[in-house]
Amino acid sequence: MAGVVEQLDSLIADLLAGWNIYTTLLLGATAGFVAWVIYEAQDADTHPLLLARQAQASYVRQPGESAAYRSPEVPHGYVLRSGLGVKVPGAPLYSAGKNGDLRDIWRRVTGEIPLEKNVPHAPASTTAGPGTATIMTVFGSEGATEHSIAELTKEISVIGQHLKDHGAKKVALYLPNSVEFLAALFAAAFYDFTPILIPYNQPHPTLIELLAHTGADSLIAEAGSIPLADVSKGVSRLRSVVWTVEKTSRHMDWNEVPEGIGGKIDVSVWHQLVQDQKNGKPELPQGSGDAPDIIFLWQEAPGKPAEVVQFTQQNIAAATGALISALPSPQRISPSDTFLPADSFTQSYTLCLTLAALFSHATLVINSVAGPGVDLTLASRKVAPTITVISAETAAKLHSTTTASVTGGLQKLAHSVETKSLTAGRLPTDSFISRVNAPTRAAIGTTPGKLRLLFVSERAGHNTPPMSSDDLSDLRIFAKARVIYALTAAKVAGAVAQTNIYDYRRGVTPANKHSHFGVPLSSLEIKLKDTPVHKTTDDGPFGEITVKGPAVAGGEASLGVNGTFREDHTLAYI
Amino acid sequence: MTDTSSPPPAAEVLPRSASPVTPINLVLLSLLVFLVYLRLKPAKQQTLPKPPPPTVFRTFTPPELFPYNGLNGMPVYLSVRGRVFDVTAGRNFYGPGGPYANFAGRDASRGLACGSFDEDMLTKDLDGPLDTLSDLGDDQLEAMRGWEERFMEKYLVVGKLVAVGSEEAKAAAAQK
Repeated sequence: MAGVVEQLDSLIADLLAGWNIYTTLLLGATAGFVAWVIYEAQDADTHPLLLARQAQASYVRQPGESAAYRSPEVPHGYVLRSGLGVKVPGAPLYSAGKNGDLRDIWRRVTGEIPLEKNVPHAPASTTAGPGTATIMTVFGSEGATEHSIAELTKEISVIGQHLKDHGAKKVALYLPNSVEFLAALFAAAFYDFTPILIPYNQPHPTLIELLAHTGADSLIAEAGSIPLADVSKGVSRLRSVVWTVEKTSRHMDWNEVPEGIGGKIDVSVWHQLVQDQKNGKPELPQGSGDAPDIIFLWQEAPGKPAEVVQFTQQNIAAATGALISALPSPQRISPSDTFLPADSFTQSYTLCLTLAALFSHATLVINSVAGPGVDLTLASRKVAPTITVISAETAAKLHSTTTASVTGGLQKLAHSVETKSLTAGRLPTDSFISRVNAPTRAAIGTTPGKLRLLFVSERAGHNTPPMSSDDLSDLRIFAKARVIYALTAAKVAGAVAQTNIYDYRRGVTPANKHSHFGVPLSSLEIKLKDTPVHKTTDDGPFGEITVKGPAVAGGEASLGVNGTFREDHTLAYI
Repeated sequence: MTDTSSPPPAAEVLPRSASPVTPINLVLLSLLVFLVYLRLKPAKQQTLPKPPPPTVFRTFTPPELFPYNGLNGMPVYLSVRGRVFDVTAGRNFYGPGGPYANFAGRDASRGLACGSFDEDMLTKDLDGPLDTLSDLGDDQLEAMRGWEERFMEKYLVVGKLVAVGSEEAKAAAAQK
């Protein structure tokens, strides 16, 4: 016994006898490493088990379909979100609020309906009263110019009254993203006519066919963008046209009507109508009947056949409310945000996010350079947006151009260091290492680093380029912002499903295929119906994606694509 | 005195130059390498175990419902007014050996309406038509409705009960 202890003692003594300067250095390095690991340890942005099971499945399913999957915001047994929860001033503090429609959104923009209290980043209430949203437009290479909300209210009332006087029932809007587009949309809600949103840049024959098919009897378009003679020949019901003219062309006379049309079509010019009523007071009608529906066109590309979808105001309000509440409250759109839609307003996802930004009193920056394949660097050239919406084509283009510029071992090392941070669940920030060796960033906006949220929309059934989970993770590093991937479809206002804002996981889906789409929005529930090829079994749900809820045109619709819910209950293509 | 004050002999052994390869250095180096490996190892994704698959809603006839009485590892079902409830969570009451075990796997409507667990509250002939409850009074129907509401709040509806030979039974059998 004593011998063993003595042997052990001499062993340890021999070991420690070899202590020298290198030993001290190694010990210092180990202690420093452990101290550094403890110092820089941070919690993940969200608990990883919250990402391990995201949507909620019902406990019972009907034969021939899967269980119904819902967002955790609306558990089974509760009603789905059906609107914006608009509380007029004077309503009790904890009332649910009514659903609301576009008119309530505009009343919120003007400040007639104030923001709720306790909104983060809201300006302190001033004696001027409740704040308003801010709307700016970017013209070419000039910076952004702000519009006065009172002037816009006057434009809405003038245009709406003009079209109502001419007996317009269905007004086609063939405009790029512009403030006139939004003004005409709100005018339709106040003055009771149905707007038809036609995607811009159509070839003329397709435009004429779409106008005839949807039964438009009025048209608002950019002056000089369409041949009026051909359009009036092709669209027999057309009765009035309103041209919008850009500032530099306003000296020309746009009131001319080509020969052969005679007195059939009444042509007016937007800025002249507004100027004629310059001294009148802006008065919007206060009626509270149902506002009319909005017609969207779901089209793969300009020139291709389009699907006509009619959304009610409740569809749009439900989708907008669901998009607002899908973000956790610290991340929601707030009055200190600058929102730039880089996709066209004729997509319901972009339009609903724009309405959400207006509803939250953010600064909306409108750029007519917006559409499915636009380059985000060009679209954000003169502004510094904090939130933006892009299509999957734009995201793919951004990813491929920025990846091509990542050359050299150091940049790749910096990229992989930040990827490791993302995989650990944290968004990489400006740490010492990233300042010393910065990874490649995409050039978005005038001030780099202000972008905080990037919405990427995938259109179901339209052959859009796939964004895999690795691509999305790279985009988070390139844009230094959180990225949300959303699935949108024809008959659903807003989106069908959206990824969790804190879900940075990589490699969860195979590369080269679409990443998963996260949880359904709170305004709908998703079921997968059996097809001859894909059936739901005890192993897992497979089938055709079917949605039901207040945000779906007609109440219930099938998307025409097959999907599954993965182990973590997120929606994915098969 | 002269010889004893000679200067001390020069050190015969030079101080050994510090060598990096000593046992303690190797131990510490391997410890450091191990810690760095733990740090750089890709972390495993956290997952939750798979939940049980959802129950398929089924159209039952009384003979098909009969085995679901908790014996042989079967779940416990009972039926009220045509709706089949999964009461396995209340096994202590409705399962084998419980006070209401008579209701398991049967149509419990009459028993709940009259507040009795006797055998004669259950339909004897499983192949015959369902109990129409037409001879019950208003307060008994009221009691049954109260029970049904409690069941709707507490338990899951997993099917419906139809008579043997009825249209729905034939349709359900054809679908299988």
